Amino acid sequence: MAPPPSPQMLGSKERSLFTQVVKNYENKQYKKGLKAADQILRRSPNHGDTIAMKALIINCQGNAEEAFALAKVALKLSMKSHVCWHVYGLLYRSAKDFEEAIKAYKSALRLEPESQQIQKDLALLQIQTRDYQGYVQSRRAILQQRTSWRQNWTALAIAQHLAGDLTNAERTLSTFEETLKGVPPKTDIEHAEAVLYKNVIIAEMGETERALEHLDAAAKNNPDRTSVMELRANHLLTLGRKEEAAKVYRMLLARNPEYRDYFEGLQSALGIEKSDVKALKNLYGDYAKQNPRGDAARRIPLDFLEGGDFREAADQYLRHMLHKGIPSTFANIKALYPDTSKRDAILELVEGYAAGEAPPVANGSAEKQPNSDKDLFKISARYFLAQHYNYHLSRDLNKAMKYIDEAIESVPESVDYHMAKARILKHYGDPKKAAEMMEEARELDLRDRYINTKAAKYHLRNNDNEAAIQIMSKFTRNEAHGGPLGDLHDMQCVWYITEDGESYLRQGKLGLALKRFVSISSIFEIWQEDQFDFHSFSLRKGPIRAYVEMVRWEDHLREHPFFSRAAISAAKIYVKLYDQPHLAHGSLINGMNGDHMDSAERKKAEKKARKEKEKQEKAEAEKKDKKAALDLNGEPKKEDKDPKGELLLQTSEPLLEAMKFITLLLEFSGRNIQAQQVGFEVFIRRKKFLLALRTLIASHALSPTDPITHEQMFRFQQSLSKLSEPLSPKAMQVINAEFNTLLPASTDLTKHNDEFLQRNHNSASHVQGYLKVRQLIDPSSKEKNQQDIIRTLALDGSSLEDAVRGLDMLEEWKAESRYKDDYLVAAHERWPEASAFKQKVD
Amino acid sequence: MDIRVLKPADIPHVQSTNITNLPENYFMKYYLYHALSWPQLSYVAVDVSRPKKTPYDPPKIVGYVLAKMEEEPVNGIQHGHITSLSVMRTHRRLGLAEKLMRQSQRAMVEMFGAQYVSLHVRMSNIAALRLYRDTLGFEVEKVESKYYADGEDAYSMKMNLNPLREQLEADEDYADEGEEVGDVGKKEKKKEDGEQGKTKRKVKLGRGLGVGELVERNESSKA
Repeated sequence: MAPPPSPQMLGSKERSLFTQVVKNYENKQYKKGLKAADQILRRSPNHGDTIAMKALIINCQGNAEEAFALAKVALKLSMKSHVCWHVYGLLYRSAKDFEEAIKAYKSALRLEPESQQIQKDLALLQIQTRDYQGYVQSRRAILQQRTSWRQNWTALAIAQHLAGDLTNAERTLSTFEETLKGVPPKTDIEHAEAVLYKNVIIAEMGETERALEHLDAAAKNNPDRTSVMELRANHLLTLGRKEEAAKVYRMLLARNPEYRDYFEGLQSALGIEKSDVKALKNLYGDYAKQNPRGDAARRIPLDFLEGGDFREAADQYLRHMLHKGIPSTFANIKALYPDTSKRDAILELVEGYAAGEAPPVANGSAEKQPNSDKDLFKISARYFLAQHYNYHLSRDLNKAMKYIDEAIESVPESVDYHMAKARILKHYGDPKKAAEMMEEARELDLRDRYINTKAAKYHLRNNDNEAAIQIMSKFTRNEAHGGPLGDLHDMQCVWYITEDGESYLRQGKLGLALKRFVSISSIFEIWQEDQFDFHSFSLRKGPIRAYVEMVRWEDHLREHPFFSRAAISAAKIYVKLYDQPHLAHGSLINGMNGDHMDSAERKKAEKKARKEKEKQEKAEAEKKDKKAALDLNGEPKKEDKDPKGELLLQTSEPLLEAMKFITLLLEFSGRNIQAQQVGFEVFIRRKKFLLALRTLIASHALSPTDPITHEQMFRFQQSLSKLSEPLSPKAMQVINAEFNTLLPASTDLTKHNDEFLQRNHNSASHVQGYLKVRQLIDPSSKEKNQQDIIRTLALDGSSLEDAVRGLDMLEEWKAESRYKDDYLVAAHERWPEASAFKQKVD
Repeated sequence: MDIRVLKPADIPHVQSTNITNLPENYFMKYYLYHALSWPQLSYVAVDVSRPKKTPYDPPKIVGYVLAKMEEEPVNGIQHGHITSLSVMRTHRRLGLAEKLMRQSQRAMVEMFGAQYVSLHVRMSNIAALRLYRDTLGFEVEKVESKYYADGEDAYSMKMNLNPLREQLEADEDYADEGEEVGDVGKKEKKKEDGEQGKTKRKVKLGRGLGVGELVERNESSKA
């Protein structure tokens, strides 16, 4: 076989053409690049580097598959070419397979150890994949090639810092500083930042004394005043130099009196104990006087004052806020409500304000604003009371409705009051009326996106997805690919996509629901990738403390409730699909619950639905033909081949699909009990008993009396006793030992369950848990369970949500209709407005 | 309600607040671009009294100001720009917008020696116009016709920051250190990377291009 050709073997014309190809690629002149490459290949068809460059360009044009095939050809021809390996790595990088990309870069680097570009590309992937040791090595190599650049030193320090080597990180920063001639001017922002970065590192080493010295010596004129003062206050406080610390905290508060951290710092610096109410009262009193427009100094004392002091302070605070008609007054106060004596005091005060005098009756829409301040005060008080009685800790919806109606009567054009009324209707359990009311609120101020957003959300809660997107479209960029919904995806509008998915889930449209939850997961993937460019951008730009903070935040990005909420729902859908495979076609049966149909009915419904679907698809296909959609950069957008999530549903391995979510949930949201519980559901079905047990142990530690965990423990026990094949003795041993601590083998299950009931007999959700377990232990108890579940409706603490869940249990047990009817009658009596219980009563 | 500097971890909720309140929206990377380029300038208002539902609940953001420095200032005159400011309807009339703006403006002066700060506001947005003009002291510089995607015109507004600078210099802690801050920032010009952000393009910049484009352009120009 002939030796592989290399650039050196090209003629001079081809050599310059090759340079041209590289340039074309860099300038994104892809067509020209391809043309030049083909010119070379006509002469030297086996020139690997040219083929590789061609692959790179083709990849940029969006044809990854062809690109990979070409790159492989190139590599076969030129195994010893760093260009080919580099390109191979770049292709993997663009396919997001960072592991393979790193391998390819490393091969390229072995062939061409001096290449800055390959070294840098490798470094970027190492930090992106958090290979800190590798990153340190790469940054060191890059630094050695150019020691005069400050950012190369900073980059090495960051690498060492992130790798946990604080000592060397500091040393690296100092080594560069020593090369500086004189102190850089105050205007050198890169230097100013590097100084503060070094200070943070010293402080992280626990050498506070030295950190303070360093700060005082090196950061006196640092332009980032806020950071310097915050660091200084912290160091001083840590060192117990309280008087000086207090002085700095006071300076910080003079700059920003609305930051609780500063107040807390000052409190500690002054040595004021949390129990020393008198001293605290004086401290905040002084600040309140200094800051007539401040909120914090007035609001914080309500947290620690008690009794008469509290009443007096609350009176002042509430009067002040309500006189100004500040709509967030209740939102700012409700955190005090777990303390019932404070709650009562607040209620008494505000009821007093509201009762002062009968409200003025507004004459149609003649008056825009309340007549006087006094009226505003009283109306605000009523609005507050409406919110008070609408809040779950102090709920009395009829009273809430009375107060909000009074407020609306006084100010019929108030968006806020109508919005509150919609919330009350929602809590009554009537999402339809709630949506209608929110719609009324929206119409009062069509230009305000906030109320538009609320209206759309309420339409979703009412399962009217069409109306919701219609409303949203008034503020979206509707020419975006995929219309308003496409824009909401582009703009990463997590709340909408999540609520849309949850709405579809309630309607049994599993495909669309899953589609939305998977979209949320994709948005998080984008957010994780977003950091990539900043690994180089931040070094050039300079603010590296913010960069390091970003890296650390990205490390646990997926603990965000935006993610866990969608992930839990997605996993639940997959579990459902596993249990009821026919649901994979259930999205055809729009909204109907396939469970309750016999097979003939189901077939009929499916057939009808399929016809409808074909009709729809045809219409959509025609619409699409009109013009090819462009993405944000004006390039043709990839077509979504599964807009309804039907392909997602048809997975043959729903539990493995679920694992994609479960793994992330358990890694990042382990202290979220719902994450553990849905994890259990997946593991138990996969017969991964050790992993299922682990979730039980975690759930139990989080909440020993959780009713779902209670039920899951029984199911676990049952699964173990009904194994078709025995587990390995070793696994059995571990399971027995661990599970024994939760539910000892000697336990009389019935007795254990009865005790659980006795301890929690006033809580509907616990009684439900008890009944579920009783049904499991003894299926013949069904009759009794169906009767007993009705009794949960009479419990004092029973919520609407509990009652709806109870209804679901009757469905699960396939209860006879008379039990369901009885249940509905009783539930309707207690929640007469709730639409969930209306259907059969009317 | 706490007022404090925006951190990267706040961004998902800042983004939510933005898309709940305003028609001009940006993806995450554009927020990161602000937070990692001028971390001192963007502030958030946080509802600290909200009870947590899970151990992972991030701070509940009820308002934010997203701010930047002009990357290529004409004649080298450093100035800031307010990219976006909004407060949830439920938290209006607490003065949060003003408090956020004042923190951001001071940081612009202290950190980057900004001479003035500019912004755009919809001509129909009377409440915002009042805040900027009457409360904070902005002046309308000109009308930019069809500035917004929906065709609405914008007031282009400006606020001179020199009075603020003088006030800060007069403050005791500055007198103590006795150094002139007047020409802070003049030197940075050559360090700034080239953003072509012409005012007209701002909306598109946020929506359509974001940092990705910025970064790529920067990389290729440096290479």
